[in-house]
Amino acid sequence: MRLTTKFTLWYFAIMLVVLLIGGAIVYYEIQWKLGEVEVARHQRLNDIIALQIRDGGDYTGHPTRKRATVTLLPADSIPKGNASFYTRGLAWNPEFQTDEYKLMVTSFYTIGTAHYRITTYSFIPSFYQLLPGVVDSFKWILLVLLVLVIVSGGLISKYILAPFKRTMRSIQRFDLKQKEPIRLPETKTSEFQELNTFLLQLTESARKDYQSLKEFTENASHELQTPTAIIRGKLDLLMESDIRDEQAILIAEMQNALERLSRIHSSLTLLTKLENKEYKAGEPVCISNLARETLAAFDELIQMKSIDLGVHIEKGVYIPMHQSLADLLLTNLISNAIRHNNVPRGAAKGLIRVELTHEGLVIVNTGREPGIPTKELFERFRKGNSGSDSIGIGLAIVRQICELSHFDIEYHYNSGLHMLAVSFLPKLPASKLLQNLSLPLQVDAAGGRSKNRSL
Amino acid sequence: MKVLIVEDNQELARNIRDYLGREGYICESCETLEQAKEKITLFQYDCILLDIGLPDGNGISLLNYIRAEYKDTNVLIISARNALDDKIIGLEKGADDYITKPFHLAELHARIRAIYRRKNLGGARIVEFNEISLNTDTFEVRVGDTLLDTTPKEFDLLLYFIVNKNRVLSRQSIAAHLWGDYTDNLANFDFVYQHVKNLRRKISYAGGMDYISTVYGLGYKFNSHLGDNG
Repeated sequence: MRLTTKFTLWYFAIMLVVLLIGGAIVYYEIQWKLGEVEVARHQRLNDIIALQIRDGGDYTGHPTRKRATVTLLPADSIPKGNASFYTRGLAWNPEFQTDEYKLMVTSFYTIGTAHYRITTYSFIPSFYQLLPGVVDSFKWILLVLLVLVIVSGGLISKYILAPFKRTMRSIQRFDLKQKEPIRLPETKTSEFQELNTFLLQLTESARKDYQSLKEFTENASHELQTPTAIIRGKLDLLMESDIRDEQAILIAEMQNALERLSRIHSSLTLLTKLENKEYKAGEPVCISNLARETLAAFDELIQMKSIDLGVHIEKGVYIPMHQSLADLLLTNLISNAIRHNNVPRGAAKGLIRVELTHEGLVIVNTGREPGIPTKELFERFRKGNSGSDSIGIGLAIVRQICELSHFDIEYHYNSGLHMLAVSFLPKLPASKLLQNLSLPLQVDAAGGRSKNRSL
Repeated sequence: MKVLIVEDNQELARNIRDYLGREGYICESCETLEQAKEKITLFQYDCILLDIGLPDGNGISLLNYIRAEYKDTNVLIISARNALDDKIIGLEKGADDYITKPFHLAELHARIRAIYRRKNLGGARIVEFNEISLNTDTFEVRVGDTLLDTTPKEFDLLLYFIVNKNRVLSRQSIAAHLWGDYTDNLANFDFVYQHVKNLRRKISYAGGMDYISTVYGLGYKFNSHLGDNG
């Protein structure tokens, strides 16, 4: 829920409570005031009647006597203290033929030696009759307030929260790898100033940590190359010397570990360089030719594993990217497809399909079900099959290259088939490519290599 | 062949000296650009192994100097930085080849031989060993008079063996030689085994001697004196 909406709702709730209490107050106030005014009027009327009696004329039929009763009282029945009192309550109104609220004011006078009790009454509007009016007016007030709160809430929050929103936008654009500190907009609101200061410190320390980590990685990797080269050379020389079989095994194991070390190392260095965006796109690269060359380079391996290869390469697919990266992308993907290929159950041989169009590249191969979700295979050191010899960094490199080149990449595994799609077009999701595959996904009935192979 | 090793790490330089020395190369080494310049001025070398990162500067500057003054000397760049751009710059500035650390000594040797063949022998580039001859222009292998039907990888492999004959070649080194640097997924020794097996079969079939032997646990060896190691 948006902040403005929350504020508006709270204001509305508060308004509702205030108006309810206010309505009750107004209602009772009117009711009390109405009675008071009416009593005063009747007292005045009683006074007038008393004056008339003192004057001594005949006032029978005079308008003042319409609802007045004058009674002569014996001297001892005059109540002490109170010169006047009033009563009110529902009574039958014969004029309107209905029960109405009747106010009756009784006053006592002593005129000369005689004592009088003068009582006048009138029917006043019932308080219940006032209620709808009160409710109605408060309904309108509420409506006006509501409209004002909503409109002003929107406008004011837009104005007040503007620096906050600008800060948010800067934060969203923030990238750990950027060279300059983050730029946050100026604001006069102290809370936002605090927020900005905090964010500035936070991003700055994160950025510096990242930078120093990166430098460390780069230096470490650089410095590690030479000792690794020395060890490798010494082992090469050691192999030449007169050694026993057990020693040969030890050397071989060292060679293996060293090989792994150096591969991890060079892959990580490469990844770092990719992240640093050290490879800028140059002239558009002809991916079609490159794909053909890469496939030709792996041709022997494909034959050796007797994999059924199906290729469809559109001519003249040019993509603006660094030549080496395009090379790396294709090499990694195709070598992966070969390396992790295995013959599915009930089939004569494994298959690889490579489809390159102007939209993108799709590579399909048979293989074991990965032990982890396909999305995670793009993470570093994640392998579909933990027992395999690979170090699990090839796809991380592929993903990094795709990110750099703004390609969308998808990896699916479905009933024995690994499908990897790379979309070259920014607006085309890679999953679309998988739906429009033109190559057959079965091994040729003839058992030979696929016909549409066009190397 | 006379080789100058410009490398600030003495251990690494010694490795190279030892390995190449056994091949009968005359190796000298120096650690700085200054010393290298001095040596190049005083003596003549067939090949200079040049490390890019030196204590007193970038090896590329020395490369410029060599190219300006001594056009015929071959230069092979050794770099710890596995940067693709370094490679391109190095080759553009006139280096003959480029190798990144950590490399196999056999690979280094093969590269030096390849440069030497390209630049010095001229005309038909034939590598011969007894009855086997390889033409590095046409990628043809002959055993005696029989033309062998080899794949490009098998050709590479045989050349690698003959250049590094009587050396134990580890499977790692062969894999790296055949499939290059980024072969994480293909460092599969089954492929090496398959290639070697096919190659041996083809040579024997054409009537050649089976020079290649398996070295227990380690890899393979091309024996010039048959009977030495099996």
